[in-house]
Amino acid sequence: MSLSPVAKGDAPARAKPGYALLDDPRVLGWGSIVVVLIAWEVTARLFNVSALYLPRPSQIVVALITLFGSGGLAYDLGVTLWRIFAGFAIALVSGTLLGLWIATSFRARAVADMFIAALYPLPKITLIPLLIIWLGTGGPFMLTISFLGAIFPIVINTVLGVSQCDPGLVLAARDLGATPQQIMRRVLLPSAIPSIFAGMRLGLGVSIILVVAAEMVVGKAGLGARLYLAGQILETEQVFAILIVLAMLGIIVTKIQDAVDAALGNWRVD
Amino acid sequence: MPAVAIEFDDIGLTFASASTPTTALEAVTCGFEPGKVTALIGPSGCGKSTLLQIARGFLEPTRGTLRFLERANGETTVRPAMSTVWQAFNLFPWLTVIDNVAFGLDLAGITKNERDTRARRAIAAVDLSGFEDRYPRQLSGGMRQRVGLARALVMEPEVLLLDEPFGALDAQTRLVLQEQLARLVETSGTTAILVTHSIEEAILLADTILVMTARPGRIAARIEVELPRPRSVATTRDPGFSALFDRIYELLRDEVMRAMVSGQGEAQ
Repeated sequence: MSLSPVAKGDAPARAKPGYALLDDPRVLGWGSIVVVLIAWEVTARLFNVSALYLPRPSQIVVALITLFGSGGLAYDLGVTLWRIFAGFAIALVSGTLLGLWIATSFRARAVADMFIAALYPLPKITLIPLLIIWLGTGGPFMLTISFLGAIFPIVINTVLGVSQCDPGLVLAARDLGATPQQIMRRVLLPSAIPSIFAGMRLGLGVSIILVVAAEMVVGKAGLGARLYLAGQILETEQVFAILIVLAMLGIIVTKIQDAVDAALGNWRVD
Repeated sequence: MPAVAIEFDDIGLTFASASTPTTALEAVTCGFEPGKVTALIGPSGCGKSTLLQIARGFLEPTRGTLRFLERANGETTVRPAMSTVWQAFNLFPWLTVIDNVAFGLDLAGITKNERDTRARRAIAAVDLSGFEDRYPRQLSGGMRQRVGLARALVMEPEVLLLDEPFGALDAQTRLVLQEQLARLVETSGTTAILVTHSIEEAILLADTILVMTARPGRIAARIEVELPRPRSVATTRDPGFSALFDRIYELLRDEVMRAMVSGQGEAQ
């Protein structure tokens, strides 16, 4: 989610030309990060802080380059992304279908309500020990943990979106000769899409958290595993470097979702 | 008895409920002639729209029989092809104007080319050429309802159902659209059933006006509109228009009062 630029319009009204830059939210956003990094670098150098506790930004950048260059971090990033998105994709397809079914069938809804009420509030991270007993620590385990993170928000939001569909649209479709299947595919599903995207947003966030956490517990590869390992051997620069990769991943995912949200404008009538 | 497109014979609808069953319609008997516009007018909650839903087949009456246009083999139980124009437009917001209009054709499995040609023709008929690729949210209320009209007309219905089609529009837009619709029905010879609150609209558009009573709805009067066509806003200054208006208003006033006293008018 991006913060909306406030009072962008009154920038030219300011008399002093030098301040115009400070009215651009992007300059403020990126600029403040640069200021903090410079302050960090300077302070760490001045007070000679041990890199063991707080490495300087320049050292972190070097660690980042080394990790990607010869440390094989790209491979770990790929492994983590694959785990997140494979589980998420399964959750997206099955969650949307399940949500459609629950929203349109009285019986399915009655049954699902109980299961969702029991399982949704359960912190999924507490399922890691049980899943390891059942599935081991390999691929199936990682897929399952990512799937579990995303499925609930997707199902719940699909049900919500379908139930909020304007009944007038369903009537109009019936009037134009739609069969129940056509109504589901051509009316209920598209009208639920903004809500399904909201669910994807929440679900993907949980999937990322769960996969990285699971990698920290059991993984041999992946960003979480590398992060945990680096911490164990007190490679603080590497810890920071991996955290930066995770933060960048978050920014990219959020920006893509923002773009998708903006493209969904056509779904709203007014 | 003249040929009918749809005939209601002693139609009643009672909603069963645990405490008190509600009778929405009681013994409605009336016919809708082919090639004519019939208006249903009555106080709020009298069951005008319910009657339309029964004709369309979306609601089952609890008593009475429905008969339809006699087919070549003497069959009268086959529902004619019908399309509805809705008060709330009910356009699909994620589809462009042309995709909204072609929606029904697409469902019926008609090829892309033919769909396109027919949709464009219908869009032209409601004066919206050039707006094919807009989304409903980019259009004014009046334009949206013209899309609604094109979406119904493109299906080439045997009976066009108009469920308070201008109810959600402002007074000026309503006038212009009424004139446009009057022209469309005059030239096409469509059978249409128009549900409306507006006496003026009923007189301008209809050949026959059925005045309904307050709930439980019955047909109180059947009035033939003999005013010459084409009709337009100028028709409202015709002395015949005023006489009809007064007569219908007289009939409606008592029913509206009854509906208000029983509190049903507001409940709708």
